Amino acid sequence: MTDTLLQARKLSKHFGGLKAVDQVDLDIHPGEILGLLGPNGAGKTVFFNLISGVYRPTGGTVHFQGDRIDGLPSHRVAARGIGRTFQIVKPFASLTVLENVLVARGITRYGTFRRLWGPWQSKSETRAALETLERVGLAELAERKAGLLPLGNLRRLEIARALVVGHQLILLDESFSGLRHEEIAQLETLIRRIRDDGITVLLIEHNMRVTMGLCDRIVVLDHGRKIAQGKPQDIQENDLVIEAYLGSRGGRHAA
Amino acid sequence: MDAYLITIGTLIIIYAITVYGLNVIVGYAGQISLGHAAFFGIGAYASALLTTKAGLSFWEALPIVILLSGLIGIVLGLPSLRLREDFLAITTIGINFIVEALFLYVPYFGGALGIGGIPRVVLFGVKLKGMAFFLLCLGFLALVIFICWWFTRSWGGVACFALREEESAAASVGISPVRFKLLAFVIGTMMAGLGGALYAHYMRFISATDFSFPMSITFLSMIVLGGMGTLWGPLLGAVLLGILPELFRPIVDYRILFYTALLLVMIRFQPAGLLGEGSIVHKWLILKPAGGRP
Repeated sequence: MTDTLLQARKLSKHFGGLKAVDQVDLDIHPGEILGLLGPNGAGKTVFFNLISGVYRPTGGTVHFQGDRIDGLPSHRVAARGIGRTFQIVKPFASLTVLENVLVARGITRYGTFRRLWGPWQSKSETRAALETLERVGLAELAERKAGLLPLGNLRRLEIARALVVGHQLILLDESFSGLRHEEIAQLETLIRRIRDDGITVLLIEHNMRVTMGLCDRIVVLDHGRKIAQGKPQDIQENDLVIEAYLGSRGGRHAA
Repeated sequence: MDAYLITIGTLIIIYAITVYGLNVIVGYAGQISLGHAAFFGIGAYASALLTTKAGLSFWEALPIVILLSGLIGIVLGLPSLRLREDFLAITTIGINFIVEALFLYVPYFGGALGIGGIPRVVLFGVKLKGMAFFLLCLGFLALVIFICWWFTRSWGGVACFALREEESAAASVGISPVRFKLLAFVIGTMMAGLGGALYAHYMRFISATDFSFPMSITFLSMIVLGGMGTLWGPLLGAVLLGILPELFRPIVDYRILFYTALLLVMIRFQPAGLLGEGSIVHKWLILKPAGGRP
């Protein structure tokens, strides 16, 4: 278990009769960009929500750095150093971009009652938050109200927030969807840089081309089950994956 | 100053203290409460009972009253705050009716007759009345406003703002929804308890109807009018809604109708309140609201 950062075993989530995630095993190695791929309704986001504590699993376990984290609520998973973004962006709309990042910086204080009473807009905190914004390229928009930003910037803002929290691992839920071409290219660069800074990345993605170019390893889900895993080129040629995406054998135009 | 003005002024200050508490719950943490009068009443009854039946002085009773209000806030808040929006609204209305019914039907609380003979506040051997009591209330209001100001600048405050904006995103950055909703709720109910205690020793006679549901609506109207989540909105709202009924005394029967119409007009044209972002006053003065608008 030394070279796994996060280890999910037989992880399941059933909603009544629907097996949204069914007995999925998954290892995340430190320092990799792991892609979680699958058609609509494959259970990718549910899987994310199981790891990040939004849902309690029906069965199975999740270990992070050797500690069991399945069943912990979101805020306690976050406190372990796992940051995440949301498929439908959730900025703190009436706060500024800078304030959104500052909120995340409170992660070290929200757990202890005594540490709650200091000022949150102190100089040192603001400087640190601005550095994070520079990393994602939003520093110039620091004073802008988050609710007024276009989607591309909101996705970056969520990544900034996730970076503050996730000094070990960040989970990106379809960060590329709805973006323009040049924005996609910039975001790919950003994610690579994050990985180079030593943060492990698990990302959900729809866009085959992006995933193939960016990820070190890919895991494919379909109907809640893991159907394939491996290097991008192996995945591209995997019959099960092609079938899951196209619904029949044959055509290789999936990408 | 005219005794009449002092009377109105004192009541307005007492309401303002209470409404600041509601603003922490509704304005900062975004949790709707339609039962704030219950906690105002709990403070009033606790202080009235402790000073008439247990023989404590106002000052001895006050810490107990505030702690008790906070404690009841936790007990009632813990199950309620797991609910959201409409359900929370209905639950808090329920709390208001239950508390009012307890005051009314439990003989210990004086029943329909209420509690009379509540002593005046004594400070340095002087019985406070008129202007002196007004100044005491003003002092407490200053303290409450200071606490609110401090809260908006603290990590605890910003955690509440984040919860108000996006609960799941807040949880993803380490904010426990239950803990921080409860924190706001307890601060709010403690302020209501303080307001209630001052009310009891000012009126010197209280009964259950003083703390009924329409009072909760009045408190909420004050915030909506003044500006939810702003630092000065609750005060402005309390002053305006405290003065208007006096100005419109000839049409007192239509007061509730007037409040309702006012609320509707505010929600339609100035949803952030008079001091909220994008409001007319805001445009004139460019005031910065504490922690942004909800």
